[in-house]
Amino acid sequence: MEDAIFDRELADRLQRGVDLAMQRGAAGAKIHFNSSDITECSFENSRLKSAAVQQTQGFTVEVLVDGRRGTASGNEVEAVDELINRAITLAGVGSAAHFSGYPAPAPVTPVPMFDATVPQTLTLEKMVADGQSMVDRLLDYDATLSVEAGGSCDIFRSLLVTSGGVCHPSQRTRWSLNNWVQRTRDTDILMCGFGRAWCALNELYDTDYIVEQTLQDLRYAEQNVEPPTGRVPVYVDPESLGRFLWPILMGVNGRNVAKGDSPLKGRLGEQVLDPAVTVVDNPHEPYAFNCAEIDDNGISTREQPIFRNGILERFLYDLDSAGLDGAEPTGNAGCSAYAPGVLPGEQSSKELLTGIGDGLYIKMLMGFGQSNILNGDFSANVGLGYRIKDGKVVGRVKDTMVAGNVYDIFKANVQLSRERDPMYRLPYAVLQGVNVSA
Amino acid sequence: MKDRLHEALQRSTADYAEIRFETLDTTGLGYRGTEVEQASTSRFAGGIVRACTKGGWGLATFETLDDLPRKVEEACRCAALVGKETTQLAEAGAPSDAVVRAEMVRDFRGVPLDEKLKLVADYNALLLKTDPAIESTRVIYNDSFRTVHFASSQGAYYLEERPRVVLMLMAVARDGSLVQRAHDSIASAVDYGAVLGLEAKAEEVAKRAAALLKAPSCEGGTYTVLLNQDLGGVFAHEAFGHLSEADLLYENPQMRELMYLGRPMGVKALNIVDDGAFGHTTGTQRFDDEGTPTGQTDLIRDGVLVGHLHSRETAAKMGAQPTGNARAERRNVPPIVRMTNTYIEAGEQSFGELISGIDRGIYALNMIGGQTMLEMFTFSAAYGYRIENGKVGELIRDVTLSGNVFETLNHIDGFGNDLLIADSGGMCGKSGQGAPVTTGAPHLRIRDVVVGGR
Repeated sequence: MEDAIFDRELADRLQRGVDLAMQRGAAGAKIHFNSSDITECSFENSRLKSAAVQQTQGFTVEVLVDGRRGTASGNEVEAVDELINRAITLAGVGSAAHFSGYPAPAPVTPVPMFDATVPQTLTLEKMVADGQSMVDRLLDYDATLSVEAGGSCDIFRSLLVTSGGVCHPSQRTRWSLNNWVQRTRDTDILMCGFGRAWCALNELYDTDYIVEQTLQDLRYAEQNVEPPTGRVPVYVDPESLGRFLWPILMGVNGRNVAKGDSPLKGRLGEQVLDPAVTVVDNPHEPYAFNCAEIDDNGISTREQPIFRNGILERFLYDLDSAGLDGAEPTGNAGCSAYAPGVLPGEQSSKELLTGIGDGLYIKMLMGFGQSNILNGDFSANVGLGYRIKDGKVVGRVKDTMVAGNVYDIFKANVQLSRERDPMYRLPYAVLQGVNVSA
Repeated sequence: MKDRLHEALQRSTADYAEIRFETLDTTGLGYRGTEVEQASTSRFAGGIVRACTKGGWGLATFETLDDLPRKVEEACRCAALVGKETTQLAEAGAPSDAVVRAEMVRDFRGVPLDEKLKLVADYNALLLKTDPAIESTRVIYNDSFRTVHFASSQGAYYLEERPRVVLMLMAVARDGSLVQRAHDSIASAVDYGAVLGLEAKAEEVAKRAAALLKAPSCEGGTYTVLLNQDLGGVFAHEAFGHLSEADLLYENPQMRELMYLGRPMGVKALNIVDDGAFGHTTGTQRFDDEGTPTGQTDLIRDGVLVGHLHSRETAAKMGAQPTGNARAERRNVPPIVRMTNTYIEAGEQSFGELISGIDRGIYALNMIGGQTMLEMFTFSAAYGYRIENGKVGELIRDVTLSGNVFETLNHIDGFGNDLLIADSGGMCGKSGQGAPVTTGAPHLRIRDVVVGGR
């Protein structure tokens, strides 16, 4: 517990709420308070469009009555008792709880997530100046571009009080900086961009780097070329690799497993992915975008491998889903990974790229999640992608569809780069088995 | 409330300022498999102040009315930092004192919680027992009652109530590691009764999920495609509708050149309309979130682009009239230009006439989702059938359609006489906000559509 951020008055108020729920017959209760202060600016159509100061707050109450759960939420502090009453009423028809009460406090790994220099440095004026600088540099490259840019500086506070005895405050800073351009040449339209976000002000806050990523896409897309067709090797950047892994992470979601929706059910210990693929969820990386000390039931988070050398090692469970599946909770709120990273390979990203004779470089997919994604199937339009010939990017492909099954394409012949993106903690990759049609 | 909002607006130092204050009450109930998955309720109140000075916008959100005068000042300070040009806002025609109460056939707020849960449980049981291949289900019921107060420094005020009830049915069928889903949903802004009596729909969803286990994937290639009304409506919304939103055009010379009024846009028989005042759907509201009355806007008439969707600012900067399409998802976000009820008008051909001309094609039905990157679009059918020699053939899955809107609108060569505008609880996502919309179309026949496949 960090005393500097501890609001005793609020904690007492929430504790009284939990006590009230117990007095009214609840076998367990928790109240989660969240608030945010966000300062942001945005550029649209290459000009400064708006600045905003946003304050929000909310409470979520959950009670456990006769083995059932009821949930109520709101944003008026004076209405907390009313929320408890509503939650108790709802518990009468609520979901069966697969646990008997909220767990007692356990040792927590402290995770740095608040950096006072974020709000001190990122004033509205500073973010406006940085945004303008990105817009100017992109317009220097091509004055016909329509540029969007934005920055934000956020402070989030939360406090969880449970009938198990957990009283856990947390405070986190977060900044974001991004740009997005549209190039219109008659009916040929290109949209691309890049952004960064982190909890501490560090080297990731770099307007030069962010602009350069967008400029590289603009250069690559100077000409359109015919796409390859059939089964060709696909080169993906870290962000796109994360997109391809998303259905697999839905498969390790303990709720999906317990409910029988996951194709990975019953396959713990099996070789599901290529031995080159090790996926680790690490919520403890200091200042990482999604770092966390506890989940929303007060259970401590942990660093844990999900796939080790392609072998499925564990599913991710929150308190209720663990009870449902006869497993131990893993501290994953909503049964989702916090910050799943993939361990690097041995070749450089450049070596991976130059090793491709004829293939596709995917930067952005449209409609990836629209297929039967839980089953691993995908069929998506290449929103931004390039053809690779003889190890070089030769131009942009359009009107191109890719389809396949992620479990099939990660099963074998996965090549990973030795560099990883520091924000996504993912490498570049070459994937086989993707069918391309145009 | 009206006086309180106008009093706070007295603090404005901007060229223009407005306050939107909202309350939102929701109830959510859900089954997944054999168990209740969700039982929740919420009540949120709060709003946003928007100020414009020299063309720059300042925003300040608030959770309590106690802070309101200070929030007006904050928004004005932000606007002053941004503005360097001239404030241009077209005349909104906003009311000075309008009250639009919800008129409901059966108000969901009067329905006991037990009754709502029994409804969900009964549908869920039906989904589970319809086919042995069904391993899991989801039935989700949500109702929400949103009350919007809007006031501007130009003297406008309205109060509008916007109720919404949605029911979603989903079945998950499994055969070994193969998992297939099917779903359907229905929504209403006026009647709790709309979510009653859907037993036949639930059975159809479960049967479809089971049948998809045995259906082959669609082979990738270029086909003549027949879209059903649901998918045709999504096509109108995703492929074309977003391009007609003037916030993409008004300060972008290349886009204005591309989407100029009078431009040929599709075949002669093509007519597309957006109508925020259409009937009483969940996409309908009397006033948009800038106070402009909603109404019908012709977008394409006889294959020619004739209209754009506007906010007050885009209208002023393009010399047009506001169309009532500035909509905000929730209490603490600004309105953005977006669609309401968007549909393609009916043609004259029967279903039989449309399909009889297709030797080898695909009949694509309903939608899972859709996305555009301006001229490129993609949308996924929930399921499809092969068309062979003018007849509906084998059931297929994984049907994802993709293309360039400017080309595709010229490839529509058949319009059915069976326009259907379904209120299925659809939400349109844009700029991080979701807004309830409806879409509609007749059956459409389109040549040379790229279909993704394995």
